Amino acid sequence: MIQISQLKKQYKEAVVLDVPALEISRGECFGLVGNNGAGKTTLFRIILDLVRASAGSVTINGEDVSKSEEWKARTGAYLDEHMLLAYLTADEYFETLRVIYGLSAEDLRLHLDKFTEFFNDEVLGKKKYIRDLSKGNLKKVGIAAALMGDPEAVLLDEPFENLDPSSQIRLKKLILREKENSRVTFLISSHDLNHVTEICERIVLLEKGKVIRDLRERSEMMAELEAYFTG
Amino acid sequence: MFFTLIRLEFLKSVRSTSFAKSLLTNIFMGFLILLLLSYVVGLGLLLQVILDKVAPDQDHIALVNSFLIYFFLTEFLYRYFIQKLPVVELESLLHLPIGKSRIIQLLLTRSFISPLSIIAILLVGPFAIQVVAETYGAMGALMWVSTIALTSWTLHWFMLWFKQRFEDSLIGLAVIFLVLVLGAGSSYMGWFNLGEIMKPVFDYAMVSPLPWIGMLAVMILSYFLCYRFYVSNAYLEDLSEEEDVRFVNQSIGFFSRFGMAGELANVEWKLIIRHKKSRTFLIMTAFFLLYGMIFYDNPAYTTEDGFSALFIFVGVFITGIFMIQYGQLFLSWNSSNFDFYLNQKGGIEALVRGKYLLFLAISLICFLASVPYVYFGWHFLLIHLATFLFNVGILIHLITYLALWKPKPMDLNNGAMFNYEGIGAAQFLIVIPMMVGPYLIFLPFSLLFNDYAGLLALGVTGVLGLIGFKRLSKINIDRILANRYEISSSFRQEL
Repeated sequence: MIQISQLKKQYKEAVVLDVPALEISRGECFGLVGNNGAGKTTLFRIILDLVRASAGSVTINGEDVSKSEEWKARTGAYLDEHMLLAYLTADEYFETLRVIYGLSAEDLRLHLDKFTEFFNDEVLGKKKYIRDLSKGNLKKVGIAAALMGDPEAVLLDEPFENLDPSSQIRLKKLILREKENSRVTFLISSHDLNHVTEICERIVLLEKGKVIRDLRERSEMMAELEAYFTG
Repeated sequence: MFFTLIRLEFLKSVRSTSFAKSLLTNIFMGFLILLLLSYVVGLGLLLQVILDKVAPDQDHIALVNSFLIYFFLTEFLYRYFIQKLPVVELESLLHLPIGKSRIIQLLLTRSFISPLSIIAILLVGPFAIQVVAETYGAMGALMWVSTIALTSWTLHWFMLWFKQRFEDSLIGLAVIFLVLVLGAGSSYMGWFNLGEIMKPVFDYAMVSPLPWIGMLAVMILSYFLCYRFYVSNAYLEDLSEEEDVRFVNQSIGFFSRFGMAGELANVEWKLIIRHKKSRTFLIMTAFFLLYGMIFYDNPAYTTEDGFSALFIFVGVFITGIFMIQYGQLFLSWNSSNFDFYLNQKGGIEALVRGKYLLFLAISLICFLASVPYVYFGWHFLLIHLATFLFNVGILIHLITYLALWKPKPMDLNNGAMFNYEGIGAAQFLIVIPMMVGPYLIFLPFSLLFNDYAGLLALGVTGVLGLIGFKRLSKINIDRILANRYEISSSFRQEL
């Protein structure tokens, strides 16, 4: 579904990302781990065409992301607050997205119903702008927005960060359910090894912009990662 | 301790990203302030000469004293718009073991060090030396000037309290409106003469220290009121902006007919209503509706046949001021959520068209609101119609085109007055198409045939622009898409 080939990003001399080839197939849950500065967010931004690649290309379903826009309708993402309209209330924001994705009011209700437990009554129906929400609730809004409009691929940057423990567990359930029911491809970057190894069947480890491990064997993941991170 | 805080303040202003990035703008601003202050000094020096010309036979001192109250009313107004509140820095200091009163003292003192504090002295000082000192002696002149300065400083403290308490609320606007009516009403309409009522206070100041002592007491009192208010409200929740959600929740149903662009126009409208900077721009638009008052009835611009070509410029301003002011920062308004639009299919296209839709709607409202100018003559309606069409047909694209030259990020919650965040060279250049554009169309026809032919040409050009709206707006949409990586990374402040 997502193909990356000869991808390179450099700022002047410094190469921050160098991925010769990487393919993520439909319905896969793809975990991305690595220490700070490994290039996780940069990779996500290049996939989403927010940052220009110095060389190489990313294609989603055969479409080069930097040359067309069609893929955007089928790709959801939440990387940071820049992707929210922070001066709207959560309800207004979802309503705006509803119009953009061309959904009916019923579609939106059905979609938000899936998040009832996740939102824990703290997001919808509040007279509070998104910018005034707590970091955890901000994240919840972003994640729910990224999953709108039946996307085929969803990119989430550090989705577990700032969430309380129950919300983290609920989010894991949500992701697994979406994957099961709609074959959504998830790309998730995280520092929480327990969570990613639990939901992802494939984990890629980045170091200084390079893919140094591509783990597919569930049973060995945790041990390998722990060995790497304890150094 | 005090000096540490002052040093921190200094570092903060020098190291702020906007300072480093727009050093040129800062130099320009400093220059502008000096220029304005030098005008004030010049006016002060020439005051006596002017009065000699205008009212040769009257007692100039009495005249100045009776006009002082209008000066203070004006000062009240410009302080309301210009004066900055010192609370922004509070957040980073409150949790430290520094007494609240100490912090507030610092903030208040800092707010006092401002060009605004010396305007009154610069204005009446020269006159006091030249005229008042001759009649009442140096002591009288000194007391007179210092009484005036103390009044001005009382306004300073009062305004700090007033703005913090009432800014952006209806009460605040009502008071401002009342001051305007009071000032205009008393002199123009002759309801009562405010100047005569207040005159004795300043007359008395020249011969007796009592008004001076009184004013000093009032100023100290106002300082303490202000200080008390700030100390007792030195909590983040109190000093941060509380917004009235009911008032700002209106969306404009009319836009929903235009699909995704309409939806984004609605979202943009909410952005305008919910941020301080954009709100000020909107209020200024309303004030600029009165711009015509200065020119339209002015005998200096009355011509034998047709009308003064200057009116075209005034018309462009009245019907397009919002588009010109808001549009010059076109994308900077969305700097904190630009990635959102990039991430939607057709998002940029809808964003640009949505903004255009909004500009069009507000320009239309301005045009309709300017209809009463027909009181001065029917041709003003035609001028406004032609300039309105030109604005929404052509100028809208020109302004956007220039505004898209290296857009910069900005914080929408800072005030708009003398806030040059997001402004670069391009924003200064926007003046050129705005001034020259309409005349390029108007003048040839007006010189060849007559002024009304020029207006017709202007209107027709605008209509043509409207017909080609899709194609013209595509130019700017494509420009954003071509530069999307640079814009997005500069908005994320990565440069």
